Amino acid sequence: MKTGEKVKVRSEKSGSLLLITLFILLGLSIYTGQASADLTAIANHDRIKIDFFYHGSNVSVRGISDPDTELIIKISSPDGHQELRQKGKVGGLLWMNVGTLNIEKVPSLYFLASTKKIDEILSKEAMAKDLLGYEAVEKHVEMTPVKDENEKTKWFNEFVKFKENSKLYSVASGNITFTRENGKQNYYTLFEWPYQAAPGNYIVTVYAVKDNRIVEKAEQKVQVEQAGIVKKLAGMAKNNASVYGLLSILAALGAGFGVGLIFRKGGGAH
Amino acid sequence: MYLYLPVALTSINVFIPVGLGLAVGLLSGLFGVGGGFLMTPLLIMFGIPSTVAAATDSNQIVAASTSGTYAHWKIGNVDFKMGLYLLLGGFAGGLAGVQGIKILKAMGNADFVIKITYVLMLGIVGTYMFIESLQSMKKKKVEDAKPAKESALAKLLKALPMQTRFEKSGVTHSILVPVIFGGFVGILAAVMGVGGGFLMVPVMVYILRMPMHVVVGTSLFQILFNCIEVTFLQAYTNHSVDFILAVLLLLGSTIGAQVGTVFGRKLKADQLKVILAGIVLLVTVKIVFDLTLSPSLMLGLGGGH
Repeated sequence: MKTGEKVKVRSEKSGSLLLITLFILLGLSIYTGQASADLTAIANHDRIKIDFFYHGSNVSVRGISDPDTELIIKISSPDGHQELRQKGKVGGLLWMNVGTLNIEKVPSLYFLASTKKIDEILSKEAMAKDLLGYEAVEKHVEMTPVKDENEKTKWFNEFVKFKENSKLYSVASGNITFTRENGKQNYYTLFEWPYQAAPGNYIVTVYAVKDNRIVEKAEQKVQVEQAGIVKKLAGMAKNNASVYGLLSILAALGAGFGVGLIFRKGGGAH
Repeated sequence: MYLYLPVALTSINVFIPVGLGLAVGLLSGLFGVGGGFLMTPLLIMFGIPSTVAAATDSNQIVAASTSGTYAHWKIGNVDFKMGLYLLLGGFAGGLAGVQGIKILKAMGNADFVIKITYVLMLGIVGTYMFIESLQSMKKKKVEDAKPAKESALAKLLKALPMQTRFEKSGVTHSILVPVIFGGFVGILAAVMGVGGGFLMVPVMVYILRMPMHVVVGTSLFQILFNCIEVTFLQAYTNHSVDFILAVLLLLGSTIGAQVGTVFGRKLKADQLKVILAGIVLLVTVKIVFDLTLSPSLMLGLGGGH
């Protein structure tokens, strides 16, 4: 091999190395979950306090996005365990609980909003990878006891129905609005936060989608926590159960006698 | 106005539990029932998890039955002696019932047995009380099989040892009678997950032959102690008593129980029985519908019945 050829090969090698490095860097910038310069995500609060008068809240998500991309916004809790009673017919006539369905690796809350239906803008692989859409969640969860995939699908659909009924699961499209400001595109969407959502950490993730794949991601955490008298009572019921039980009984006895005395004084029935 | 319930982990309009408390407290003062067979399903209907609904209901019954027992005691309607024997039997029966449920659960058909027991007991008790009280209201002298059977039962009860006089009720029985029948109600109450007032009242009326007004006061006295025990056990072992929900319920139920006692004095015994029988039958019909109509959701939260 001549020296000139060696130089050419070396420069080709270093060129492809540079390309690979660039790809890796690009890939990292997409998948570390960091907001890039083009996509940002801001929720109206990062902390929801459950106090005495709590009746749910609103979580709005806004930010800047590239006008050439579609958006998907997901709010979900970390994977957990759910145990539910299955209803079935006994003796061909009576409906009652016939078993227990255990679901692992499943979020207790799952909200999805997108500019268009997600299966129209994103590939199946990408949906599965980032758990976008009920189909992806269904593939991800582990369910017992189920005989086959058909039975898993049947019970997963029932599970979604149960969760949607409790306002803890929702998938909708076309509910993100856009405005233009200083040459940039702002997006905005509003989720009704149900009071049924338990205390814990929730993650808001905004995905920018182009050509059937995710090109950018931005994240924000929302923490739901009990506060004040709610926190004190819930803590006492768990950690000081005997005192809590006695206090509950004493309060009831006191109220019963108290009302009895008031009625005797006020009513003068005898 | 909405309040957040720290143990039920849900938010509720305060007028719902206060209103439910008032209505069920009224029944409690009128008929001497705790009202668990009505309140627990109603609370579940308003989104309270079933375990929390049952446990918190016990807590509020402590208040309603204190208020009711106090009101009835003032007018001399509580037979403490009879109440204590019934309580003794009820306590033993409750323990046996809880063990029975454990065995049924292990066999895998607990829910079926619970539901069927519920429907049968409510249906039989409701129908019998309804027919019997209607007949005595019409003052007909009915000679069917039932009174004949009862007199045979009465003879058997008279033959038992340890006969004693219950002054307040004006009856004489063996102390075994309230203990055994209290135990029987205790077993059924534990199996069905209810206080058992709607079973105890007919036992006192038809088997112990106590006057209706003393039945109401004595039943409430007995329920008070049962519910104190259940509240403590539920709070201690299951952490399922919601204090805020209990306070909202008892705000209504303590007042309802007093109003019920006043109304009860104005109604005749047969009128009281026929109304209670009507309510029991309505609940039975509702349960039968729930069991036979297809549910909208095939999954539900665990716990409770």
